[in-house]
Amino acid sequence: MYGGDEVSAIVIDLGSHTCKAGYAGEDAPKAVFPSVVGSIDQMDIDDTANNEKSSSVDSKNNIKDSEKGKGKRKLYVGSQAVGFRRDYMEVLSPIKDGVVVDWDIVDSIWDHALRECLLVDPKEHPMLLAEPSSNAQQQRERTAELMFEKYNVPALFLAKNAVLTSFASGRPTSLVVDSGGGSTTVAPVHDGYVLQKAVVSSPVGGEFLTDCLMKSLKSKGITIKPRHSFKRKEIRPGEFQIVDLDIPNTSESYRLYSQRVIASDIKDCVCRAPDTTYDESAYSNIPMTPYELPDGQTIEIGADRFKIPDVLFNPSLAQTIPGMESFAEIAPNVRGLPQMVIESINRCDVDIRRELFSSILLAGGTASMQQLKERLEKDLLEESPQAARVKVLASGNATERRFSVWIGGSILASLGSFQQMWFSKSEYEEHGASYVQRKCP
Amino acid sequence: MDAKDILGLPKTSLLIMQEKKSQPKKDSQRKPDGISRQVYALTGVLAPFMPSIDTTQLKRRPPSDEKITWRWLPFTNSARKDNLQLYHWVRGVNGVPPTGDYSFTKYNKMWTKEETDQLFDLCERFDLRFIIIADRFSSSRTMEELKGRYYSVSRAILIARAPSPGDVSGHPLVKEPYNVSQERDRKRALSMVLSQTKQQEFLPFHGIEESTLPVASNAGPEMVETATNVNDTVSPSSNALLASAAIASSTSVMAENASTLASLRMQMVQAASSTAGLRTIKLVEQTLQDLGVNLKPRVPTKAVCAEHLELRKEILNLLNLQKQLQYKEAEGSSFRDGSYTEMPGTPKRSHRDQDQTFVADSMSFGGERAGRRDQKRKGPGRFSEAPLLPTHKRPRKLKASDL
Repeated sequence: MYGGDEVSAIVIDLGSHTCKAGYAGEDAPKAVFPSVVGSIDQMDIDDTANNEKSSSVDSKNNIKDSEKGKGKRKLYVGSQAVGFRRDYMEVLSPIKDGVVVDWDIVDSIWDHALRECLLVDPKEHPMLLAEPSSNAQQQRERTAELMFEKYNVPALFLAKNAVLTSFASGRPTSLVVDSGGGSTTVAPVHDGYVLQKAVVSSPVGGEFLTDCLMKSLKSKGITIKPRHSFKRKEIRPGEFQIVDLDIPNTSESYRLYSQRVIASDIKDCVCRAPDTTYDESAYSNIPMTPYELPDGQTIEIGADRFKIPDVLFNPSLAQTIPGMESFAEIAPNVRGLPQMVIESINRCDVDIRRELFSSILLAGGTASMQQLKERLEKDLLEESPQAARVKVLASGNATERRFSVWIGGSILASLGSFQQMWFSKSEYEEHGASYVQRKCP
Repeated sequence: MDAKDILGLPKTSLLIMQEKKSQPKKDSQRKPDGISRQVYALTGVLAPFMPSIDTTQLKRRPPSDEKITWRWLPFTNSARKDNLQLYHWVRGVNGVPPTGDYSFTKYNKMWTKEETDQLFDLCERFDLRFIIIADRFSSSRTMEELKGRYYSVSRAILIARAPSPGDVSGHPLVKEPYNVSQERDRKRALSMVLSQTKQQEFLPFHGIEESTLPVASNAGPEMVETATNVNDTVSPSSNALLASAAIASSTSVMAENASTLASLRMQMVQAASSTAGLRTIKLVEQTLQDLGVNLKPRVPTKAVCAEHLELRKEILNLLNLQKQLQYKEAEGSSFRDGSYTEMPGTPKRSHRDQDQTFVADSMSFGGERAGRRDQKRKGPGRFSEAPLLPTHKRPRKLKASDL
């Protein structure tokens, strides 16, 4: 029944933090890069070039001088392109609150993934795209339009993230806790379909935790110097000195983005989910862990190691961090992870609740945090009904947890029995983009 | 004249008269506002600590600036198809009658053609997976309503298309129609069981019988009510044993025996055996008697009680293992002989089978066999699971003729 069939489909999972793309049938995506782009607005360049007449502007921009269009901008996609500092480059994300707001950026990301990373011609490969578990009809239609009209794919399928994670673990029914960069979503999957009325989502995700960590370090007086802002000069053989560079034209968003990259690395290295609810007094005397910043500075992180991950379980903890007090106004009803799980299960039909409790899957980058699985299981055991057996499952391999959505897509697109379910170009031409609702349930 | 005169007793009536005169004065001082004296007297005359009713609200009259008029007016009911016009009293304020539809219209759960069409379309797309159908249905109808509508329409079509009523009387759709209220009750009972968290388990027994989960079958409404004795009515004994082990029957057993136990030590004994159901306790006690041991140790010292508890635990273990062995043997034999005939069943039957085997499975198997169980349930082999539970008391409908 699990027959494979090689149709060389491409699987793309565009998340709010990273984009994963690769061939179906493989066990990991070939192209993984941040899903933010650097954008240089041509109008700014032209104005300043005329005013300053300086030669420090990138040569590529001079070519664009002739295209003094209205708001024409050059986009830089991919970790290499974004990592290189350019004057006036802003860092933009196409996704806001889980919804795509800028389709041009999405287009450029797909283009980069297909033509530059995977080196494929989209005309020849069916495309499987992963979409958020509660995606609006309008977004889906737009995706289908863009794929068929611009890339001329022969066939398309839009699969929900939760369903793909469920398939990656071999279960048709499960409760998927997807904790990614931009948000955390708890979605029940029954027989391969997401129960949309029971999906619970919260804005607390990896990016939010990184922000909390940055603000916390700032309040302790530690400044993170972005990599592009200094140079290491060798004053004596073997000894280096840090020299700050004068780069007045770097945009604020780029500087923030670079700092975030470093902060998220700190978070990945030192943060651990605490075994019990975080208590300020209990963790005041724990030993500090050292971490070396790129500029050579070594910082010590103590209680924050446990405080930051506990924000997932207790979002109101974020308000105690100086600089994050505004969080209360933005999201007054945000609940912790165990409460979200219970709420989602309680919205489902009574008959399937026990099965959902015994197959809770963890997915996403933030879910690969150490001890998160054990802590979630422990919290759920307290709050769940006595009659239900709680079991939280997560792949042992951190890479698998991070890419579980992509891996599910890879499995799905290479199944023999899936090949009848593609939404083909001819069907698109016959019924229009709204047919996607019918074909991709 | 008076009997008292004859006997020569003094006339004490004078004193009584005096008391009666003084009392009315006291009572009239104490009469409260808002309620009449007689009603106040019913409360025992003494004012209660906490006012249970707000006595000032009792005789509150509507504000006098509004003029309330009552008029005999005609009305129509939008829930009706014809234009029947009846009359009723309508309360108007300052001469303005209330507007809007007849207030009881909203209780009419009517199915429009569009809704029914959409339901059948979803049923076809999602293969009668009602959980998903209920999730995707546009207007908010409960799953029981959707199922009820689907089965009643199917039933009506079946009966209408049959050449004679006798032909279809044997059909399961016709024989037992889907019972919406019973499903609702079963689900309510199940949700009550599932909402008992671990903290609530330690609270005094609420009177909610919860020794085991109600099974999703049409075996009758008594299933919901007699949950304590469900060990006897439902399914194989191994199911009951493991089900009740999983669910807090400890509170029910504790409550029953609390009154009969004298000493704290005996409560310990009961606590140890309370993880088993009523029937298993009886078996344990039977075994103890066979071995010649007293049910309650005559000298309840700490050491003796500990040994007694140990013995009980070991007997429980033995019984568990015996049952599992029995079960496995039955399973093995049914696999060998078992009929793998594919049932050309109606969707209703397949659904019920799915429910039954699913719930039975979840009760009897541990979660470790989740993967295997899922695979087993796929495909036509599904119906072969029916003979796997030989002692399973099948509801009367699915007789041996079906297997």
